[in-house]
Amino acid sequence: MNRLWKEFSKGLWKDLPPFKLVLGLCPVLAVTNTADNGLGMGIAVVFVLTLSNLVVSLIRSIIPPKVRIVCFIAISASLVVAVELLMQAYAYPLYQQLGIFVPLIVVNCIILGRAEAFAFKNPPLLAIADGLGMGIGFTMSLTFLGGLRELLGKGQLFGADVTWQGFEPLGFMVEAPGAFVSLGVLLAIMNFAENVQRRRKGLKAVEGPTHDCGSCGGCSSASNC
Amino acid sequence: MKEMIKMMVVLSLICGLSGVTLAALKEQTASTIEEQVLTFVQAPAIESVLSAHDNNPIKDRKKFDFEGKTITVFPAIKDGALISIAFETFGKGYGGNIGVMVGFSMASGTLSGIGITTMKETPGLGTRVAGHGYTTQFKDHSIDSVKLKKQGGDIEAVAGATISSTGTVNAVQSAVSIFNTLKPQFTDGWS
Amino acid sequence: MQEFFVLFIGAMFVNNIVLAQYLGNCPFIGTSKESGVAVGMGGAVVFVAVMAAAITWLVQRHVLVPFELGYLQTLVFILVIASLVQFVEMFLKKMVPPLYKSLGIFLPLITTNCAVMGIALICQREEFGLMKTVMFAFASGLGFMIALVLLAGIRERLAVRRLPIAMRGTPIGLVMAGLMSLAFFAFKGMI
Repeated sequence: MNRLWKEFSKGLWKDLPPFKLVLGLCPVLAVTNTADNGLGMGIAVVFVLTLSNLVVSLIRSIIPPKVRIVCFIAISASLVVAVELLMQAYAYPLYQQLGIFVPLIVVNCIILGRAEAFAFKNPPLLAIADGLGMGIGFTMSLTFLGGLRELLGKGQLFGADVTWQGFEPLGFMVEAPGAFVSLGVLLAIMNFAENVQRRRKGLKAVEGPTHDCGSCGGCSSASNC
Repeated sequence: MKEMIKMMVVLSLICGLSGVTLAALKEQTASTIEEQVLTFVQAPAIESVLSAHDNNPIKDRKKFDFEGKTITVFPAIKDGALISIAFETFGKGYGGNIGVMVGFSMASGTLSGIGITTMKETPGLGTRVAGHGYTTQFKDHSIDSVKLKKQGGDIEAVAGATISSTGTVNAVQSAVSIFNTLKPQFTDGWS
Repeated sequence: MQEFFVLFIGAMFVNNIVLAQYLGNCPFIGTSKESGVAVGMGGAVVFVAVMAAAITWLVQRHVLVPFELGYLQTLVFILVIASLVQFVEMFLKKMVPPLYKSLGIFLPLITTNCAVMGIALICQREEFGLMKTVMFAFASGLGFMIALVLLAGIRERLAVRRLPIAMRGTPIGLVMAGLMSLAFFAFKGMI
């Protein structure tokens, strides 16, 4: 039980994707122009990530190590197709909003990364806990970033006006430049908070998480990153 | 060699299983997806070409056969009587097919309006056929002789977008010929 | 001709695949620390993107559409791209060792580069022909390479500057990418 909680909760803060593990940046930047879109994308990722972790973990003994990446890709791609179908059937406006980023969940490093780094080596229950935790952490981050950008860029939150009269929205926040800058500044703030904590413990300040390709499934040349 | 065989078997097993599962899921969701697409993609065009009604045209849609093709027809019903119908046809445009939703009023046998549903035209000129000025020419137009001016009719083409204008008119003409053939079936369809 | 030129410039600058369409950001941030690495990665992306777009186009038109398997697009595309990358790697290793030396180490990274899959998907959604697909993929790949090499140049300079420790590495890279994206916004007026 303890172990289960540990694997679940690490995704919520310690290894929070995409802030602590800098993985899966494309959807993070692309669909966070509103909080709604961020939340919708996050839920789709939770679904795919948890199930792909479960399936990979269940059949990990029969997957030949040589072709494991292709197997992971096939499994996650099938789950993504399932998500596409379900979204078209029950959340069509969201499906239209997210556009090509729904099929692109399949190349999201988080899915392959967790399959390779965790699910392939651990039993199903732990794999589910890991997938759920990581997925929920990802969803929280996306919703937060989406909310921030929507608030500053449109003066709204989940589509409702929340700012005072005379608030002038910063239009660029909902466009591409705002996405890059706000994610960069958020990462810097997280690093700063971590460094303050480290100093209090008497440790030296460190540079924040560099781009971590080591946990990226398809990446066999992590040293080049 | 044994390893190769194992790899092949595992891979094809995974692909086969997911294929079957997905096909089943597709089967399950097909009708819901169709409804969703109609509601979110075509509904605006349908609403704009149908006259006032008190039913849900998408819920009440019916399929008809015409020369081997299936046509989905959306009815506008008011107080139990069929007022007008709409269905989609396609004409050749500059960058691909232009989808046109064509509405007919049942009583007078005139066009009740047209709306552009899909097109891949050159941004700028070609897309102007979707504009109000062009499509309103078709409203209450008689179904005989829907032609551009240069073909001897009275529809003004969008300047500089001849191909798109012709494509739209061709789509309307094919809709008219379908309407003429299937009119009795349409009349009986919702009574 | 003019149409192709507009498509080319549009894909390379105006709708730059990284800075305006948000695709391929992981390698964009990950491999932009040295300009040598950036050029290699960019070259590999151009090469694979063109081949992948052409092959997925053929698969879509001649396999998926005739057999009504459109819903399996995602699954089939990613498998095609993954095996293509494997195949290209083996081919280059055997046949063109010099090219393998400069691009080889980047090839495995490309399977999970969403720019490649994204380009293939965009071509399908826009319903380009084969010629246009190849052009679009080539221009988008070049756009990726330009953005990557420019960012690498900036980050090489930044590496020797004094920065708040929390800003070093990825955060400043992202902020710089944001400023570049703002600069690329100026191209919007071109088309």
